[in-house]
Amino acid sequence: MTSNYIYLSILVATVATYSCRAFGVFSSRNLSTESPIFHWIKCVSIGIISAVITKIILFPSVGLLIESSLASRVISTLVALGVYFLFKKNVILSIFVSTMTFLLINFYI
Amino acid sequence: MFTSLSFRQGIKHAMGIPAVGLGSSMFAFGAYLKSSGFDLFQSFASSFFTFALPGQFVMAETLVAGGTLLNIFLAVFLTNARLYPMTVNLIPVIRHPYYPKWKYYILAHFIAVTAWFNMFAIHKTLPQEEKFDYFLGLGGFLWINSVLCTVLGFLISDFVSHKILVGLVFINPMYFLVMTISNLVEKKLITSILLGSFFSILLFYIMPDWSIVISGLLAGTIGFFIFRKETNDQ
Repeated sequence: MTSNYIYLSILVATVATYSCRAFGVFSSRNLSTESPIFHWIKCVSIGIISAVITKIILFPSVGLLIESSLASRVISTLVALGVYFLFKKNVILSIFVSTMTFLLINFYI
Repeated sequence: MFTSLSFRQGIKHAMGIPAVGLGSSMFAFGAYLKSSGFDLFQSFASSFFTFALPGQFVMAETLVAGGTLLNIFLAVFLTNARLYPMTVNLIPVIRHPYYPKWKYYILAHFIAVTAWFNMFAIHKTLPQEEKFDYFLGLGGFLWINSVLCTVLGFLISDFVSHKILVGLVFINPMYFLVMTISNLVEKKLITSILLGSFFSILLFYIMPDWSIVISGLLAGTIGFFIFRKETNDQ
C-alpha cells in the first residue's frame, strides 16, 4: 500500500462519489417539484437511506462497528426509537441514551 | 452569496446537533484511517474530496484488504449511489433562476444525508430565492466541520480510548435513524422506509453488493404507487 496508491484510491472514491452527485444535478435540470417523478425519487431516496441504516446496524462490513455485537446494535436502536417517541421526539436524548446503551452492553456487561 | 443572511442562517442551523451527529463519526473515521496506515494529508483529502462517510469507510477497507482500483470504484459507487436520487430530489427544491447552472455542480458536493434531511426539514419556511445560500451555509459548514473532525480524530486518536471511538461511530447511524423518522408524515415515505429496511435484510443474503440500491428502488417504487393519490408534502 504505497502512498501514491492511497492517493489514487482517494481519487477513485471521489470520482465514484461525485459522479452520483453531478449526474443527479444533470438529471434534475427539467424536474419540477410538482412532478410525480419528483415524489417517486423522494420515496426511492428515503428507501435507500433506510436500507443503508439497516445494513450498518445489522450487517456492518467495514469500520469499527464490526467490533460490536449484533445484539448491542439492535437493542440500542430499539432504545433510540423508544426514547425518541416517549420523550416528545427529543433527538439529543434519543442519540445519547442509545449510544450509552451501546457502550454499556459492549464494554461493561 | 457568502455574506447573505440566509447563508449565515444555514451555518447556524448546521451548528449543534447536525455538526455533532456527523462530526463524531468523522472524528472516529480519522482515528480509523490512522490505524489503517493513512497519513494526515491523506485523511484530510478523503473527507475534503469525497465527503460521504459510508463510502469513505468502504474505500479504506477495500484498499487495506488489497482491492484493485476497480474494486474500490465499484464498492464506493454502490455504497454512495444514494447520492444520485438525493441530488435529483434536492436540486429542484433549491433551484432559482438567479443562480447559473454550474453553481449547482459545486453545491452538489455538499449533498449528503445529514444536510439533505436538515434542508428538507426547513425548506418550506424559506423564500425560494434564499434556499441556495441557506443550503450552501448548511452543507458547507457540515463539510468543513467533517474535514476538521477527521483531521482531529487522526491527530488525537492516541489519547482517546478505543471504546469511545467505537461509541462515536455508532452516533452517526443513530442520528440518521432519528432524522429519518423525524421528518416523515406521509404514508408513502413511511412505507418506503419500512420496505427499504425489510428488503435490505432479505437481499443482503442474495446480492450483498447490490442490496442497498435495489432495496431502495423497490421500496420507493412500491411506497409511491400504493399511496400515489396521497397529498404530497414535498
